[in-house]
Amino acid sequence: MHRAEPWRYAALLVVPLLAACGASPKPLPEPRPRVQAQELESSAARRYAQGDYSAAARHFAEAARLRSSFDDAAAASRNRLQQAQAELALGQTQRALDHASQVTEASLQVQALLLQVQALLTLERGDAAQARLARLTALCEARCAERGRVQLLQARAAWAQGNVAQTARQAEAALPLLREQSEEREVANAWRLLAAARLVQGDGAAALQAAQAALFIDRQLAVPEKIARDWLLIGDIQRRVASSEARMAYQRALAVAQAAGLKELVQLAELSLKETSQ
Amino acid sequence: MSMLIEQDSEVALLHRGTRRFLLAGLLVTLLIIAAIFVRQGLLRQTAVLTFVTESAQDINKGQSVKIAGFKVGAVDTVTLRPDGQVEVELEIDADSMRFVTRDAVIELRKEGLVGSAVLEIMPGADRTRLAANGAKLAFTRADGLTAMANSLRDKILPILGDIKVITGTLADSRQGLPATLGQVREATASLNTLLKTGNQQLGDVGQAATRAVGKAEAGLVQLDKTLSTVNNRLPVLLDKAQGIVEHIEKITAEAESTVPPLLQDGRAVASDVREILTGAKTAWPIKNLVEAPASASLKADSDPRAEGSRAPR
Repeated sequence: MHRAEPWRYAALLVVPLLAACGASPKPLPEPRPRVQAQELESSAARRYAQGDYSAAARHFAEAARLRSSFDDAAAASRNRLQQAQAELALGQTQRALDHASQVTEASLQVQALLLQVQALLTLERGDAAQARLARLTALCEARCAERGRVQLLQARAAWAQGNVAQTARQAEAALPLLREQSEEREVANAWRLLAAARLVQGDGAAALQAAQAALFIDRQLAVPEKIARDWLLIGDIQRRVASSEARMAYQRALAVAQAAGLKELVQLAELSLKETSQ
Repeated sequence: MSMLIEQDSEVALLHRGTRRFLLAGLLVTLLIIAAIFVRQGLLRQTAVLTFVTESAQDINKGQSVKIAGFKVGAVDTVTLRPDGQVEVELEIDADSMRFVTRDAVIELRKEGLVGSAVLEIMPGADRTRLAANGAKLAFTRADGLTAMANSLRDKILPILGDIKVITGTLADSRQGLPATLGQVREATASLNTLLKTGNQQLGDVGQAATRAVGKAEAGLVQLDKTLSTVNNRLPVLLDKAQGIVEHIEKITAEAESTVPPLLQDGRAVASDVREILTGAKTAWPIKNLVEAPASASLKADSDPRAEGSRAPR
């Protein structure tokens, strides 16, 4: 009978020992409040991406509260900004402005100012928006990652002031920067703004092209409100270019708005249809 | 000779009797003089007090000086000084000086309503500091009849004025007593009418009350029946309720001892499950099936409701 060599037994013992020594040590478990905050933030981000802005805002608010409870000021500020973003999407603009204004972390200043300008423009407080936009522009130099969004906000501010040429210029400049950042929603916003500006400038073809580009992206993102708006915009452009097509665009807008239960847009589409039939 | 001797003895007797009589008279005279001295106070010890006043009216030499109604001395001198003031000197018993304090006041007052004026020494509050012989005290005059009459007149005059006004008002035919009596007459007539109406209404109310009492009586009979029913059923219900309460108490008592440990166990189990799940999520191949945590950075959307770029309509 063959008898195993003693060195083989020794090797069998040494190999697992070496493997155990080489393995990375098990990380210490995270404290429970931190884990809860992370889960809340993750859940809120998922809900935001799914379009459930109300739940997202609630979860971000709870995450911010939890993080404040264990003095993680930076993360709490980030959650507060995310909450403001969800509130903006919900249409709770004043609350969003308040929450964004509470953030004082230096590293989040650009993000906070972006949301503040956005809220102020929605609230039609042009002067305050311009003042914060100036601060934002100063903070966000040429190499700033958010430069595309800043330019889009500048375009929106110019649009609010009735400066159509500047609007078109800024929106066009923002487009490539936003594409680089893969900000599809913002790219669609820029296209829509450019379409509106081109329509006012009387360049119907360019306006239609821009509006269709916005619609294409919004369809991919499946945002009913924006799709309905895009169709309304296309209808407005068609009325200038080829009025026969306008009715079809308004009908599409009406169908989308009705399906999504968007009462205001339903009324707008119906009004536009009535106008085209006269 | 014997006759001469008898005459000499009689003369000697007469002389002796005369001497005795004269001595007794002298003794009596001296006693009378001493009594007069004592009566006049010439032998007693006195003290002098003075005061100054503007007028010597009602102040006379020999006028009585009293303390608490007892005569203790008299006015000795009343003199007019070069400055026009009157200085009065009183002589009082030295023994009475123990009642006269330094802050004592001498008051001129009448004994009764129309009696003679006397000076009354009114001791002050500080009984520890007595006035010395020759001390000058303060002086005051009590209100006399004239002052009292003036004061009375001042008080009566406004009252008389008021009475005049009141009597004038009462006599006024529009607002006075005649008018008031007329109003009282009218009010009495109205009251009579009111009482008549009230009587009538009370009669109506009485009838209504009688009807209501009749109904209430019927209701009470019904209530009595209901209460009898309740009375029969309530003990059974109470027994049942008592049983239920006891049962609940038993359950609660048991729960008190069993639930908290269960909850603690549950919490511990939940914690364990969470840890196991967290570990499992990171383990292959489960981690491939579990949804990855969402990115903390949200997709930017500066115009979430597409309102910012609405074409001017």
